[in-house]
Amino acid sequence: MTDVWFVVAGYTVILGGLAVYAGLLLLRLREARRTLNAMQQPGEGPTGHDARNGEPPADTIA
Amino acid sequence: MKTRILGTVALVAIGAATVVALFVVPPDANQGDAQRIMYPHVASAWLAYLSGGVTALASIGWLWKRDLRLDALAVSSAEIGAVFTAFTIWGGMMWGKPVWGTYWQWEDPRMTTTALLLALFVGYLLLRRLSDDPARRATRSAVVGLVAAADIPIVHFSVTWWRSLHQGATFGSPDKLLNPTAPLVFVATLLSMLTAFTLAWVYLVIRRYQLATANLETEHQARTSRLAAARLRRATVTSRTDGAPTPAGVDAAGTGEALS
Repeated sequence: MTDVWFVVAGYTVILGGLAVYAGLLLLRLREARRTLNAMQQPGEGPTGHDARNGEPPADTIA
Repeated sequence: MKTRILGTVALVAIGAATVVALFVVPPDANQGDAQRIMYPHVASAWLAYLSGGVTALASIGWLWKRDLRLDALAVSSAEIGAVFTAFTIWGGMMWGKPVWGTYWQWEDPRMTTTALLLALFVGYLLLRRLSDDPARRATRSAVVGLVAAADIPIVHFSVTWWRSLHQGATFGSPDKLLNPTAPLVFVATLLSMLTAFTLAWVYLVIRRYQLATANLETEHQARTSRLAAARLRRATVTSRTDGAPTPAGVDAAGTGEALS
């Protein structure tokens, strides 16, 4: 293996690794923000009622 | 938005520095093309040092102020430190084989202490998985963060203190930095790679810190929800036992078990 291949291997792993790490970090961040938003907004649906708890929509006339 | 611009600038800077390092700078008179690995190798090593330093300062800050944002900064810096320490080792191996004739030598203090630094960063990250309690987790990992930081001067000065296969420090003294013996084009390329990698490091630390604070907030929300649910259950049980009518054949706790 010539010196050039060591240079290629060195740069590929370092720069490629940096790109992969940055990409994975952005994915983790997007997922974490999505989870946090879902927890902060338990009311789902257009009227904001929580269907999972069996609550009626806020504008429902009893 | 500003962070996104910083990321773009870092990306362009790394691309430009890489092109210069690979295609513009002439090969070294003694080491030939293999010396080109020096640019990302030294830049990665500098950022491993910087990460260890920031982790240590943030850890001290946590132990002193008990502010979980400092712990978030410490873990952000430690994770990125682990990445750059791994890059340092890989770059060194790819440089070492053509120049020294070996990828690795355990007798060499610089290599061994750098491997120890990587182990400490990884250990720091693994230790955090052992506890769900944020304060306990932060305190335990802060101790490991300080131990990792203590290894950094040993890594740096190991080539001075002990006989080593590794060459002397690239930036060992201010005098050497101000009056470099290497041609200016080599020094300028190294400084441009250091700048580009440092910009990338700042970008990554900001993003990792955002992730750590988002995770903290999620943990806090989950804990609050659990507490609220527990209080609601307790209040329901209390109201039923305090005289509220209990459905026939069902116990006060509402478990559905038939009363004897």
